[in-house]
Amino acid sequence: MRRATYEKGDRGAGYLWVLPALAFMIAFIGYPLAYNLVLSFQKVDVMNIKTVGKPFIGIGNYREIFLGDVLSTSLTNTLLFTIGCLVLQFSIGLALALYFTTGFRLQVRLRGLLTVAWMVPSTVVALLFKFMLSPSCGILNYIIVGTGILREPIGWLTSSSTALWGTIIANTWIGVPFNMILLTAGISGIPGELYESAAIDGATGAQRFFRITVPLLKPAMYAVLILGFVYTFKVFDLIYVMTNGGPVHATEVLSTYAYKLSFERFHFSEGAAAANVLFACLFLVALGYLRLVRDDEEIHA
Amino acid sequence: MKRLLLLSFALVLLAGLCFAEPVEIKVWHYWGGFEAVPFQAVIDGFNASQNKAHAVAQYLPREELNRQYTIGLAGGNLPDIAMVDNPDHASYAAMGLFLDITDRVKAWEGNGKFFEGPWLSCTYQGKVYGVPQNSNCLALYYNVDMLKAAGVNPPATWDELAAAAKKLTKPGVYALAISAIGNEEGTFQYLPWLLSSGATITKLDSPESVKSLTFLTNLVKNGFMSSEVINWTQADAEKQFATGRAAMMVNGPWNLQAVQTDAPNMNWYLAKIPKDKKYTSVLGGENMGITATSQYPNEAWAFLKYMSGTSVMETYMTTSGKFPPRSDVMNGSDFWKSDRLLKVFADQMQYAMPRGPHPRWPDISNAISTALQEALSKTKTPAQALKDAQGKVTKALSN
Repeated sequence: MRRATYEKGDRGAGYLWVLPALAFMIAFIGYPLAYNLVLSFQKVDVMNIKTVGKPFIGIGNYREIFLGDVLSTSLTNTLLFTIGCLVLQFSIGLALALYFTTGFRLQVRLRGLLTVAWMVPSTVVALLFKFMLSPSCGILNYIIVGTGILREPIGWLTSSSTALWGTIIANTWIGVPFNMILLTAGISGIPGELYESAAIDGATGAQRFFRITVPLLKPAMYAVLILGFVYTFKVFDLIYVMTNGGPVHATEVLSTYAYKLSFERFHFSEGAAAANVLFACLFLVALGYLRLVRDDEEIHA
Repeated sequence: MKRLLLLSFALVLLAGLCFAEPVEIKVWHYWGGFEAVPFQAVIDGFNASQNKAHAVAQYLPREELNRQYTIGLAGGNLPDIAMVDNPDHASYAAMGLFLDITDRVKAWEGNGKFFEGPWLSCTYQGKVYGVPQNSNCLALYYNVDMLKAAGVNPPATWDELAAAAKKLTKPGVYALAISAIGNEEGTFQYLPWLLSSGATITKLDSPESVKSLTFLTNLVKNGFMSSEVINWTQADAEKQFATGRAAMMVNGPWNLQAVQTDAPNMNWYLAKIPKDKKYTSVLGGENMGITATSQYPNEAWAFLKYMSGTSVMETYMTTSGKFPPRSDVMNGSDFWKSDRLLKVFADQMQYAMPRGPHPRWPDISNAISTALQEALSKTKTPAQALKDAQGKVTKALSN
């Protein structure tokens, strides 16, 4: 690699060019993060939000939320929700992406139609699925009971054991088109000659998929999974509308927990601490992703 | 030329002083749909009554409204007059949202005319931070035809309720609908049962409390009440009742109009909530206060006085299905004693207990609604759920 050489004056100009972006980052990303971090080490609640000079209590808020049982429940739920959604969205999205690149009439239009799910606001999706999953008037239970698969309807969102699944189903519905589109873009970037020559050499369909599609689709897959992870991990409105974290924290995720601590119970510092736990998780994932991409590039370089 | 310019400038200034634009008073509330109409009439009435201030009402959904107040406290945009649910008033007063209006109230004709419960909910540490805007409570709605067909009378006690529930439950019809959602609404709906057993909010793990929660849990266990109640708001419960999926429901007077509109042909009536040891209900209602950041506290106070004046209040209450927090308005009119529906609520109203007031009420409420959800979803036994709730309340009150 050729390293560019700069004159001293150029370097100064370089800093100048970076300045607006840096100022933007500090003002709109750095400040809220720092504010939240400071807040999480103070004691700010209903009694002292307006007073000047809030007391610092070290890791008191973190200890408080980690000792309670709701944080571990919401952390587990967030992880289960994210992994469940990712696995479903990704596999269905990939299957659809492959299907829609086989080349048949109307494929572009049909694919376009499928993306509608992704454009519906998530609160609307949440309400739709809340109705569809209802045990007394929901269509899903109507089908299950009507066809005789089960005798009793499933209280998807009212039973602690199924509520998280209910939200995963709804979120998967939103996420599939997103996965499909990005993967389709990746697949169409793979040159067709590769498949042709592989076919001539006698490669089976499975071989072509695992030896050509998967390796060449890897960058797109990473991008989809990482974006999906970040997007799913910080889910809020879907769950807030569908179950409000209930029944009894069965669908409580980090974001709803942090929201409730801050805005319903006015434990602002504990809410900030919970939000920071969420941020720390995403930060780690992002670091892992950067590393993964770098390693990958070094191998191919 | 210069002199002419100066002259015209002075003229404009003078005109501005003579015909001063009325200042704008922003009023934030969470009344959508039916509930927004009568309140808008109060706003319009105020604007027509004087020319110093122009009130503008802004609707925000309740959760969003509360969030905006909290954000506003940290340095954002706040209205001149803020409406809050009455159990939340002490918290917001403690956080400094409201202006102390103790002295203004002392010089006001309305001072001392309000019922004690609603009035106390506006106070914090002996100071006044707002005025009660309306009062309400809960009662039992029942489907007359369904009860008749099942051969039962409106239940007056828990035992009668359990017996009636058995007869009323049919495929597709639950005997009772309530809201047991995991927030203030769930607490509000559970408290009549809790208090009727003789239990108190400060001793949630008493045998009486456990009895009350066990009673509701059994209604779900026996299939008399849908397990979905833990996800229902009071508006959802109303839809269940209005569509004939529930033979009875516990709900407030603000839903009278909704039932009338949703089910115009349904034959229904009201009764007091069935009791264990005593009749109880919970005092609901909203308060309005001037924000501490308001630039026009005098005009805002003028609005509060206008809104709380006897005749304006009476008109508002009679058109909105709400109850006047002023005793002279309530007792000065036959309306609440003669209206077929409202008189039942008026009767229930005398048993209505206030929530708090306490700045830590959100914690207490959270503990109660969580216990309710835990028991109804069978995550914990009623006894265990309430024991844990008591632990949380004790902790909340100690720091």
